[in-house]
Amino acid sequence: MPRLSLYRQDKTSDYRFLDRTIAEMYTVGGIDIFIHKYLGPTATGDSTIDPSAENFDATQPGSATTDPTFIEDLLLLENRDRSYDPDVYQMRGVYNIQDIDFDLSQFGLFLQQDTLFVTFHYNTMINTFGRKLMSGDVIEVPNLKDYHPLDQSIQTPLPKLYTIQDASYASEGFSQTWQPHLWRVKATPLVGSQEYKGVLDVYANPADADANLCGSVDGTTITADSTLCKAESYSAGTINDLLSTHNKNTEINTAIVAQAVAELPTSGYDVSKFYIEPVGKDNVPDNPAGIKADNTSYTVDMNHVTVDTSVVSPEANGWLAGYLTGNNLPPNGLPMTPGTVFPPNALVGDYVLRLDYFPNRLFRFNGDRWIKVEDNVRTNLTPGASDNKTQRNKFITNNTTLTTKDRGAIPTLQGLSDLLRPSADN
Amino acid sequence: MATQFHYDGQIRRFLLQFTRMFSHYQVEYGKDDTGLPTYLTVPVRYGDASRQAQHIIQQNSQSSILNVPSMAFHISGLSYARDRVQDPQFVGKVQVRQREYNTNTETYESTQGNAFTVERAMPVPYDLNISLDIWTSNTQQKLQLMEQILPLFNPSLEIQSTDNYLDWTSLSVVELNNTNWSSRSVPIGTDEPIDVATLEFTIPIWLSLPARVTKMGVIHKIVSSVFDDDDIDNFDPLNSDDILLGTRAQITPHGYQLLLIGNQLQILEANAPENVKNTSFSPVTAQVSNVSWKAVAEQYGELESGISQMRLLNDVTGKEIVGTIAYHPTDDNILLFTVDIDTIPANTLTPVDAVVNPLRSGPGILTGTVAFPSASTGQRYLLTQGTGDINNPANDVATAWKGTDGSQLIANTNDIIEYNGSHWTVVLDASTTTSAEYITNLTTSLQYKWTGTQWVRSVEGVYAGGDWSLVL
Repeated sequence: MPRLSLYRQDKTSDYRFLDRTIAEMYTVGGIDIFIHKYLGPTATGDSTIDPSAENFDATQPGSATTDPTFIEDLLLLENRDRSYDPDVYQMRGVYNIQDIDFDLSQFGLFLQQDTLFVTFHYNTMINTFGRKLMSGDVIEVPNLKDYHPLDQSIQTPLPKLYTIQDASYASEGFSQTWQPHLWRVKATPLVGSQEYKGVLDVYANPADADANLCGSVDGTTITADSTLCKAESYSAGTINDLLSTHNKNTEINTAIVAQAVAELPTSGYDVSKFYIEPVGKDNVPDNPAGIKADNTSYTVDMNHVTVDTSVVSPEANGWLAGYLTGNNLPPNGLPMTPGTVFPPNALVGDYVLRLDYFPNRLFRFNGDRWIKVEDNVRTNLTPGASDNKTQRNKFITNNTTLTTKDRGAIPTLQGLSDLLRPSADN
Repeated sequence: MATQFHYDGQIRRFLLQFTRMFSHYQVEYGKDDTGLPTYLTVPVRYGDASRQAQHIIQQNSQSSILNVPSMAFHISGLSYARDRVQDPQFVGKVQVRQREYNTNTETYESTQGNAFTVERAMPVPYDLNISLDIWTSNTQQKLQLMEQILPLFNPSLEIQSTDNYLDWTSLSVVELNNTNWSSRSVPIGTDEPIDVATLEFTIPIWLSLPARVTKMGVIHKIVSSVFDDDDIDNFDPLNSDDILLGTRAQITPHGYQLLLIGNQLQILEANAPENVKNTSFSPVTAQVSNVSWKAVAEQYGELESGISQMRLLNDVTGKEIVGTIAYHPTDDNILLFTVDIDTIPANTLTPVDAVVNPLRSGPGILTGTVAFPSASTGQRYLLTQGTGDINNPANDVATAWKGTDGSQLIANTNDIIEYNGSHWTVVLDASTTTSAEYITNLTTSLQYKWTGTQWVRSVEGVYAGGDWSLVL
C-alpha cells in the first residue's frame, strides 16, 4: 500500500479537480483583466541583422521577427522599441483593492502604494495567453476606469493601465498537491514612454463607453485593423493623447518659450528705439530734419553745408555701441538699401546693408568711402529656430547636404566617429 | 502712504530663458513604418508645480500617466555672492534719448522724442542655483540627451533675461557645476522607477532696485568743482560765494553763445564776432551762425514750445532772466523768447530819450538830414562823451548844450543830463555813483545797467557759454 501523500509528482486527478475548482472561483469571483501582450522588440530591417551590413551593430543586432526572448540592446540590456499584440486578451484576475496616496513629484503625481498584485489562474492564462504573463506586458483594470475626467470635452473614459514588473507563482496558489495553480504579477502604473508606444499609440474608441480599447466589446475581440477601431474614425486621439501629460507639458513648454521669445526676441540689446544725435563736420550737431529750401538760417557763406546736404544721418552707433547691439538697422530708423554691391551715386549719409557679408554688415557713405557701422550679431536664441545663428546651432541644426564627385550628396552634419566614412550604395 | 511695492520679475525672467535654453531637444522615439527613426521633442517645465495645477494637468484622474523623457528644473538655492560685491552706494546714471513715438502708426519716427536721465542703484549679486532633472525611461535616451546637452557647457552658456539696453543686470551665464548620473540604485532593486539624471547649474545674477527715471533737465551749463589749492590759506567755504571746494568752472558744450535780440534768441558759435559786445550802446543785429537750435536742443531732449524755459544769467547783475521758448516757425537759428517780466530788473532811473555823443551833436543841430530835437524841459540824455571844462567854464566849446540862461554844460562820460527849462544839468554823476542803476533808452527800448564803471545792456545782448541754461 502506497504511503498516504497528497503530493504527486505528476498532475493527477486531484490536481485537475482542484485546478478546475480554482478556475471556477476566478470566473465567479474575479474581475476581467485586459492584457496587451508583449511580442518582443520591434522587428528591424535586414540590414541590422546582417553582420556584413555597414550599419550592423553586434550589440544591437536587430531581429527579423518579433520574439519575446530577444533583447534589443545587448550593451545596455534593455528593450526600448517594443511590439504589442494588437489583440487584447481578457482574463479573470483577483487583486486587493487598496487606498492610494498621491506623491507630488517634479513631473506629476506618483501614486504611492499604487502597485497591484494580481493573481491569475495559471492554466487559464496559458490557454488564453499562450504563455505566462511577463515583465513588460500591459494590463488594464476595467473597474478603475475613469468616466469623468476633469476635461468634460473628453468623451472617452480613461482606462487605468499598469505594466507588469515581476511575475511568479503566487504563494496562495499552491494546492494540497503542492502544485501551483495561480500566477501572481506585480504591476505598477504605466509610464508614457517609448517602450509602451505600441500600446499607447492605439486610438481610443469614444463611440462605446464600454469599449475601453480597440480590443474587447462584449467579449468580442476587435483588432486595431477593424473598421470599428480605425484611428481615423475618431477624434479623441490615441490612448496616449488621453492619458499622458506629454501634450500638456509640451503646451506649457511652448507657452514658456513664446514668452521667453517675446521678452528676448534676439540676443543682445534692442537699441532701435533710441535716438542718436547726428553730428556733422567739426562735431557740430546737425539738424536731423535736414535742410529745406525755405530755411532762412542757412546762407551761402556757410562752409559745412553743401548742395548735397539732405537728411543728416549719424556716422555710427554713438552712445549705443556696445556688446551685441548690432542688428543692421540704421540709427534713428533711417532708410537703408540692402544689396550685394555698393550703389553708385550715393550721397553722404546713405546706408547700405551688404547681404553678401556674414554676418550682414551695415555701411555708411561719408563722401569718400563706405565706413562700417555694425554687423548683425543679434540672433534668435531658441534652439532649433531657423534664424538661430549661434555657434551651437550651426553645428546642431544642420540639415544641409554636400555634393561630392563620387558619393553623391552627403550630410554636412556627421558624427566624429563616422566622419567622411563612405557609405554603401545599397 | 506711498506705494512700497515693486516687482520686476527678475528671477522669473531668468527662469523663462533657462527653460528656453533647454527646449526643443529631441530623442529617438521608435521607428516609423519605413524603419526610419522618429523623434520626440522633450518638454521642459518648472518642476515645483503646485498640487492643484498638477491635478489639473493630470485630468484629476489616477488614470493619467507620467511621460518620459521629460526635463524639469527647480531652484535649488539662492545665495548672496559676497565675492562679487561692488560699491553698494554706487548709482549709475545714464542719459538716454528716445526716438519719437508715433501713437497713430505705433512706430518710432526718425526724430528725437523724449530724453531721460536714468539712475540705477548698484544691483546686489546673488548666485542662483538651478537643478535640472532629466527623466528618461531607458539608458539610451539618457545618453542621447546628455550627449546633446553636455558639450554646450564648456563650462557655461550665456543667458540673457531681457534685451533692454539699460538693464545692466540682464546678461549672465549658466555654468554647469555638477552632474548626478542617476537617481536609481545600481543594480536595479525591486522596482523600475523612472531614471532621473540631475544637472546642477549656477547662474550669477544681480538683483536690482527699480531705476529712477527723470526727464533730462537743465543743460548746457556744466558746473564742475575745481579745488584751487593755490589759495588754500584763504579758502573759506562757509563764506564763499561759490560752492564749497573753491572756484567753479562753467562749461558749455561746443562753447556756444546766445544772443538775445528783442524776443528772439539766436545761438552762435563760440567765436562770435566782436561787434556784439554787451558794452556797446548800439543795438545788436542778428549774426551769421551755422548752429541750429533743433540740433542743439535734441542733444538733450525735446523742446516743448511754450513750456521749455531759457534761463539767462546776467553776469553783471548775477540774476537770472527767465522766459519760455518756442521754435521759430521758419528759422532754425532762432528761438522765440517770452520773458517773465518779473525776472527783468526794474528801472531805478527815469528813462533817457537817447544815448548821445555831445561832441558830435546837440539840441537844434542838424546832422545831415536829421535834426537833433531842440531842448525842452524834461529831456534826458545819457552821454557817451564828456563835454565842457570845469576849469574854464567860460570856454564856449559846446554852444549847443548852453542853456538859455547862458549856463555852460559840464558833464563827463556816462553822465545823465536833464534840461530844466533854462539849462542842462547833470542828474547822474557817473564818477560818483557806485550803486547799481537801471535805465531804459526810449529810442532803442534797450535797458542798461550802471555797473559802477560802465553802462552795459541789462537783458539783451550776448550770453557767453555757461551763462545760459536750457530747461526742457
